[in-house]
Order: sequence, then C-alpha cells, then structure tokens
Amino acid sequence: MKIYVKDGDFVIPGQLIGENINCNLEYCIVEGNKVYSTVEGLVRVNRKNVKIIPSFGGYIPKKDDIVIGVVIEVLPSGWVMDINSPYLCIMEGEEATEEVFKSNLKDFFDVGDIISAKVSEVNEVNSCKVVNPKKLIGGIVVDVNPKRIPRILGKKRSMLLLLREKTQCRIIVGQNGRVWIKGENTPIAIEAIKKIEREAQTKGLTDRIERMLDEKLGMVKKKNEK
Amino acid sequence: MKNKDEVQLIVDGRRLDGRRPDELRKITMKVGVLTRAAGSAYIEWGNNKILVGVQGPRALHPKYLRDPTKAVLRCIYNMAPFSVDERKKPGPDRRSMEISKVITEALSYVVLLEKFPNTGIDVFIEVLQADAGTRCAAITAASLALADAGIPMRDLVAACAAGKVQGQIVLDIMKEEDNYGEADLPVAIAPRKKEIVLMQMDGNLTREEFKKAYELAIKGALQIYEMQKKALLESMKVEIEE
Repeated sequence: MKIYVKDGDFVIPGQLIGENINCNLEYCIVEGNKVYSTVEGLVRVNRKNVKIIPSFGGYIPKKDDIVIGVVIEVLPSGWVMDINSPYLCIMEGEEATEEVFKSNLKDFFDVGDIISAKVSEVNEVNSCKVVNPKKLIGGIVVDVNPKRIPRILGKKRSMLLLLREKTQCRIIVGQNGRVWIKGENTPIAIEAIKKIEREAQTKGLTDRIERMLDEKLGMVKKKNEK
Repeated sequence: MKNKDEVQLIVDGRRLDGRRPDELRKITMKVGVLTRAAGSAYIEWGNNKILVGVQGPRALHPKYLRDPTKAVLRCIYNMAPFSVDERKKPGPDRRSMEISKVITEALSYVVLLEKFPNTGIDVFIEVLQADAGTRCAAITAASLALADAGIPMRDLVAACAAGKVQGQIVLDIMKEEDNYGEADLPVAIAPRKKEIVLMQMDGNLTREEFKKAYELAIKGALQIYEMQKKALLESMKVEIEE
C-alpha cells in the first residue's frame, strides 16, 4: 500500500493518489492497483482509506436526498420540477390528492411554487421521482455549489443547527445546491452561507462562522436598542 | 506577403522574438474567470488570448441528439472578428468547424462521459486574439475549464506544436514562422500515459524531421502540463476572510 498524497492536499484530474488503497469510486478511477483522481478537489486520508471531496460539479439525483425544487410544468397527473440538475424530475399527483384526475392539480402546486421533497426513485438514466412535498411559502432561495452542501450541513448537521440557532431563521437545505431561508435575519444567514461556500475547504470554519454571526447579530441588536 | 526566401526567421540560433528553437512563448493561465459559467479558463500564450467557458452537464437540445449511454460533448471554437489583422467575418467557417471537431474528439477521450447519460456538455472557445497555435492553446484552456467545472476526467489534455522553419525544427511556432515556415505539427496528449489525442500536420517533413518534431512537441506539451497543474492548484486556494 502506498499513498502519494497527504491529508488536506488538493488534487487534480489524472493525479496518482496511491496504490492498493480504498477510495470513493465516484471520483476516482482504478487502473491495475493504481488509483487516480478524476476531479479537482481535496483529499482526506484515513489510514488505507482515501476520500476525494470535489470542489465543483452539478447535482446528480440520489435516492433519499432532500431537494428543493421549483414547479415548471403541471401535467394531467403530476408535476415536472426543476431540481437544479440536468435530469427530469417528476412528482406524481397522488402526493397531493387521491383523486388525481377529478381535481385540478394547479390548486395544490402551481408553476413557480417552491417545494422541498424527498427523492424516492432514480432510474438508470438518472431521471427521478420525488415524494413528500412541502410547499415553501415566502422566504428566499439561495443557490450554492452543490458540492459544498455537506459543509453547510456540517458534521451531524452541526453547522446548520448553529445557523438556525444564531439567526433564528427557518433554514431548509436541499442536497441539490439550494438553501431556503425565511426569517428576520435572512441577509446575515445568506452572508454566512456564502462564506461557508467560499471557504468550505479550509480548517476552523465553524469557529469563524460562529464569530462572524455573533459579531453581525450583535451589531443588529445594538441598532435595535438605540 | 513576402517571398519565403526573403524572410530571415532564425538569426544566430535565435528566432524573431529572441527565443531558442526549443523554447516556448510566455504563457499565463487562469482558471475560474467567469462566474456564470460552470467552469472557465483564460490563457495567454504569446500573443494568443483565448477565453473558454463550459456549460453543463445540462439537458441536451435538440432531444434527438441525446444518448442514453453517455453525455454529448460539444466544443465550439470561434474567432472574434477583431482577433486577426484583417476583420474576420463572424460566425462558423470551414476552419473553425474543423477545429471544433478535432477538439471535441480530443477531449471526448479524457472526459468520463458515461457518468452523465442523456446530457450535453458545451465548451465555448472564444479566440480574442490569434497569433498561430490557437488550437493548441484552445485545447489546453478547454481541458482546464472542464476540470474547473467539476466534470470527471481521466486526465488533463496538454497541447503544443512543433514546426520546421528554414530547415530547422522549432518548438511552438508563432505567426511569422507559421506564414513563412515549411511545416507545422500540433500535438495534444493526455500526459499521464502520453497518449496522443490530437495530431495534425501542415507542410512536409522527412521521417527523421517528423520524429524530431514529434519529440519536441511532446516535450513542450509536458511543460504545458506542469503549468496547467500549477494553474488548477492555484485556483483552489482560498483566502480566508476574518
């Protein structure tokens, strides 16, 4: 076993990562016993296991992901959603009503409505179906790099909980690179999310975000007191 | 245009711009220059200035072009009307369509297209200023832009040309050498295994000259690869704001 990279190193497509190692196959190729990266990103090394975290890339639907979508078409028996992915996403009418053909589906979700839903099925060409829709009324949807979503959530959702607690906003994070925010401190929450997105591949981010939120929210409090 | 014999392109072992025969022009590469595109790169290769933007993977239109087994990569090479001395008529022509085709084929080899069935990846190459060797510069920048877009690739693609000028094999020929020289040999490689993904030749070379030119072009491409690596790693560094 040989590993040619260190923990926290940046890698580029075609770079040799190691020999006889375990790596997430989504972002690497194996030729013989050699493993090469296929994307640019960061590596995490844990003994024999190497994980490549890509820096950029679009969203490919995966089963059980929570996504935030926008209704783009109402069909006779369902809806077509835009989930920030190149693939078609369908939601069936049964998700809203039992009598699909007797009711007007526009009464439930119309074009332009923002919905959070769960991906229930992905087929071999990545087209997907979503279930459990929840209409998101008001608020703001922020587009972020889908590959930075795990950092916005944090370990065991710690970053998201921090954002929710400090800003007192309702925040829903979609795995497809969309974050829905509603609340009084929305601009500060957006600023924090953009900072997380920008500095996702750096160390000590949670502390910096906490400091930043305290500072910004402290200023708002002072203003209100005056 | 002057007669070929009247122009002295190599004097005392130095070329018109002072380079040695095996020397590249000054090259700078930047990655992530456009915010709206999924990936982008800008390259200055001597007097060549090329901007590349990548869109995708995205839903492919027209629908009949879709392939359920893989993505379709489309490169569009376009020269700006002001990129050359005499105004170029805007829009595609025979040359730009040919270059688009060869670049598409070269990049299709390294991009893992099977990861994105039914989609399209568009690579837009805009030549803002041309000074010979634009296809090599374009392919180099396009592979950087694809990497910047997070599209999985087996390897990067690095390209460089060699040529014959006044009987001598030289690396990376510029406009005057292209116009008055005897041959031009652009080569693009996937550097990890040194696989050739593009090779074209204009002019005549003997077997020995070809071998020498090919080896020189590969040597140049490997130098370009090092610069690509540096540019990509540079683009990933983030400045922390306190």
